Amino acid sequence: MRRENAGQIRILEAFFSALVIFSAFAVSSNIPVSQNVSRSSDLASIGMQALIKLDFDGSLGRYIDDGNWTGLREVLGVVLPEGTSFNLTVYNEQMVQLNSAVISNSEFGSQTVTCAEYICVSQRSAFHSYIVRLYLAMAA
Amino acid sequence: MPAVSVDTFFACSLMVMLVLSAMAITTKLVFPSMNATSNRNLAERYKETSKYLLLNTGKPSNWGQNSQTALETFGLAKPNTDSEYDLDRDKVSRLNTENAYGLSYPDMFTSLEIPDLSFRIKIEPLFEVSTKLAGAFLSGDDTVYEFEISTDKQGAPVSAQLKIYVVAGEYLNSMSVLVTNGRISQNITLSNSVGGPALLIVLARSLYNDKIVSFDALAFAHNSSQPISRRTLLKLSPLDYSLNVSLLDSTIVLTDAHALTFSYNSTLLLTSNTTMSTTYAIPRFLDDSMTVLVVTGWNSTTFFAEWTIYPQVPVENGADLANSSTLSSIFSFTYLVTIDSSIYECTIWVGGPKE
Repeated sequence: MRRENAGQIRILEAFFSALVIFSAFAVSSNIPVSQNVSRSSDLASIGMQALIKLDFDGSLGRYIDDGNWTGLREVLGVVLPEGTSFNLTVYNEQMVQLNSAVISNSEFGSQTVTCAEYICVSQRSAFHSYIVRLYLAMAA
Repeated sequence: MPAVSVDTFFACSLMVMLVLSAMAITTKLVFPSMNATSNRNLAERYKETSKYLLLNTGKPSNWGQNSQTALETFGLAKPNTDSEYDLDRDKVSRLNTENAYGLSYPDMFTSLEIPDLSFRIKIEPLFEVSTKLAGAFLSGDDTVYEFEISTDKQGAPVSAQLKIYVVAGEYLNSMSVLVTNGRISQNITLSNSVGGPALLIVLARSLYNDKIVSFDALAFAHNSSQPISRRTLLKLSPLDYSLNVSLLDSTIVLTDAHALTFSYNSTLLLTSNTTMSTTYAIPRFLDDSMTVLVVTGWNSTTFFAEWTIYPQVPVENGADLANSSTLSSIFSFTYLVTIDSSIYECTIWVGGPKE
């Protein structure tokens, strides 16, 4: 190669480099990308919906009044969407835990855990209010 | 080969590998971050749209009951309700294409009035009931059928109370069964003097909550040939507590119609009758969960029992998003909805065009 053509070769190299970089961006933008949208806000929302639906006819208060923790765990397992891990804790007004058994379907791993907090009032003649905390995560 | 050519070859290979790696890394790491804000906005907009479908009654607000009125705006909520995500039984039934008054996706899309969004709706019970005929044997003048019934949610057993109805000819019988571990083997005895085919209806209710319901139905041969598939002879369309029966063959003669719920059952009252169509009134039971409607009759010399459910769930209607190549960014949203006193799961997929 003659010394006087070296500049032209450098321009060609720069041109091809730029072409390669821009084509990389152009091609990669068209490669399908899976949507990795966080579902934590949706989970909290559906957890809250589940508690509201169960409380609409007073069922939630009845489970707590009766200490029916098995029933509450089974119902939550059916109502919450497939693949949801949950752990529910019931407190009284003094924030003393009431549930004597664990109301959960599985252990939480390293997933993002979200929480829905709901105040439930018993529909029986004696007034009782409960604070229900429902922790939720998508099973790994 | 001269050493300089080998050097050039390795240098070129290295460069190609670097470019390919850069493309892959750019795709997986940089683009999602670059699109994150736009995706968040899209997700928020699509979520609001999906909520709009479930929280608004549409226009006119009674478009579900009135099949003659033109639908102006799409919305599935029940009018005058004091509960959120409370859907109208008839609007949900009209999503089902089995219903003669069912809406097509173009009807729904046009009436939603958001031209840049496509959507799909699915409403289904919270758990599944599955019925299988395991065997049959003769016992004197009777035939005993053994059914395996399971109640589960994605494989996890659900404890439930079952109400089992058997319809065959003019025979109608029911029994209550408890399923504690999600599986039961149940024997049904039918007299050999009863003509078939027979229809087994299983209504299930969670043992711990009356609002969680599901069902299954299974037609089986009894003193007869195999039952013909559904919707071959009749098209059943429940709407506004009235069951319209469209006869698909002029030789059909209807004999009976029944409404079956978990707690009650009743024979349906005939309200009108023309050559190819019959209408029955559906009673409003105190138990307003799902009602199975069974119509029996004869096609020439063959007995049949056709059935449907009111509200007509499970139902899925909308755009074919899975096979669409013109859409990107499809988001799905899950809700718990009630139809009268029962809870169902509703999934809405919303997608927009590629930008």
